[in-house]
Amino acid sequence: MYGKGLLKGLGITFKHTFEKDITIQYPEEMPFLQDRFRGCLAFDFGKCIACGLCTKACPNNVLSFETAKEEGAKKKKLLSYTIDLQYCLFCNLCVEVCPTNTLYFTHNFELTKLNREEIKIIYHRPPELDLLSEEKKTDNPGVQVEPSDAAETEAKRIKQIEAMKMALGKNPLKALGKVVDGEEDIAILSALIATDEKKLSKIAELMVDDREKARKIAQAFVSKEKKDRQKEGGEQG
Amino acid sequence: MENWFLNIAHWLTSWLVSLGLAPVWADLILLVVQWTIIVGIITLNVLILIWLERKVAGFMQERLGPNRLGPFGIFQTIADTLKLLTKEDIIPSQTDRLIFKVAPMFFIIVAVMLYAVLPMGQDMAVVNLNVGLFYFISVGSLSTICILMAGWGSNNKWSLLGAMRSVAQMISYEIPLAFSLLGVVMITGSLNLSDIVQAQHNIWFILLQPVAFVTFFIAATAELNRGPFDMPEAEQELTAGAYTEYTGMRWALFFLAEYTNLVAVSALASTLFLGGWQGPFLPSWLWIILKTYLIMLVFMWLKWTFPRIRMDHLMSLSWKVLIPISLVNIVLTGAGIELFRWMGW
Repeated sequence: MYGKGLLKGLGITFKHTFEKDITIQYPEEMPFLQDRFRGCLAFDFGKCIACGLCTKACPNNVLSFETAKEEGAKKKKLLSYTIDLQYCLFCNLCVEVCPTNTLYFTHNFELTKLNREEIKIIYHRPPELDLLSEEKKTDNPGVQVEPSDAAETEAKRIKQIEAMKMALGKNPLKALGKVVDGEEDIAILSALIATDEKKLSKIAELMVDDREKARKIAQAFVSKEKKDRQKEGGEQG
Repeated sequence: MENWFLNIAHWLTSWLVSLGLAPVWADLILLVVQWTIIVGIITLNVLILIWLERKVAGFMQERLGPNRLGPFGIFQTIADTLKLLTKEDIIPSQTDRLIFKVAPMFFIIVAVMLYAVLPMGQDMAVVNLNVGLFYFISVGSLSTICILMAGWGSNNKWSLLGAMRSVAQMISYEIPLAFSLLGVVMITGSLNLSDIVQAQHNIWFILLQPVAFVTFFIAATAELNRGPFDMPEAEQELTAGAYTEYTGMRWALFFLAEYTNLVAVSALASTLFLGGWQGPFLPSWLWIILKTYLIMLVFMWLKWTFPRIRMDHLMSLSWKVLIPISLVNIVLTGAGIELFRWMGW
């Protein structure tokens, strides 16, 4: 009463003057986003099982995909996945319904595009996915294929080499059968690599990278070993 | 440091006399130089003030204020001024052209005229007028006429409404403004601003006349058309009041004049109530600048705290509250003076 409220108001503004400003200078400073923030909708190609639940859940027909069924295959093969983001209302229904967590919201909110066509996000089938199935046929354990960059492929290669070394150590007959012919040669080679660490890693590396080259090198190793043994035998004899 | 400006003035006059000019002409030239400097200082000051006001408003609302151009955004107002200077000068077809053109010029002239009597430091008033305070109040109320000219000349309903509000407000608040200053005048026994400053050698009048200071401050806010009493402009109701039809530099002149008035009234308040240029250690002209800025900061603080009040509330505040209070203050001051005289102080 009689100016008490006025003084209170002055006190509040005075207090605020020396408080920390809440402004976030956006292009330089990024705002803090909660984990559940719904930014751009994104898609993880490797996980999708092409069940189509997302397209059914979407109220605005934002999502669509193409599949192909190969002859004899049980499952449909996903060819491409399209998110037409201009109609998306970020309702989260597709993300909730997806059984494999393929769809998710990123924290990217800078969705401006220069052309109308660029709004559509189209994911094409990455070639690594097809490679994966081939690798599976040649039963290489520990192989994971994802859309990746150089560092990841390198890490994967090293992993594969390690796996190959293990296989060569455990079961040389079966593993080496792919690079040399004849039981005698296999026996020679396995004895060789069992004693020589360098040769083991060389063969393993080549078997992962280039099967043909591995074959040549392995045969060269074998023939050289044979000659050496003959020499030794000649000297003894 | 104390006598820098006085020495420059003495040196200039003696140099002009030594050139063979009559002392009258030398004084006249000195006066022209003084005015040019005052106008220059005012313009620079307004650039700083607008930046300061935006910064203060920002901080009060927990924003940053202008911060892009130069360190802390101090060049923002300069850029704005350049923009205003280069804008097209639009005069609407239905206006009264002469009045429309002349109004902003008169406004700025009236605003600058206020500085003639303000003591900017010891012996540093441009004109040491005997009726300085009376001059200040009478010239200060002339600015109403300029706003009315702008509102009438624009031939626009918003402008006219704003101008009429401004006139009503000015007339109502002129009375408590003058009455609140009467207490100071009664104690001093002089209308000369330099004398009033001298009289505060022992004690500032804000301590002797606190009620007068508060009424003066409220009335001055209304006189300056500043928030929370910015009814004449009231953007939300009248677009920009009397300034609606103005563009570019003509509008900028109004803006400049408003801030010039703000500085003048703040300087007057510090002269009358805060001891003027008196203060320890620092030179007198620096003291008055510091005190003026302090008062202006309080004006800004009020503007960015309170919401605009309604027109009828504005009127009733003046006629029903401020005028009675200031009248009672005059009576009590007179009684107090008589009491002290009777007690033989």
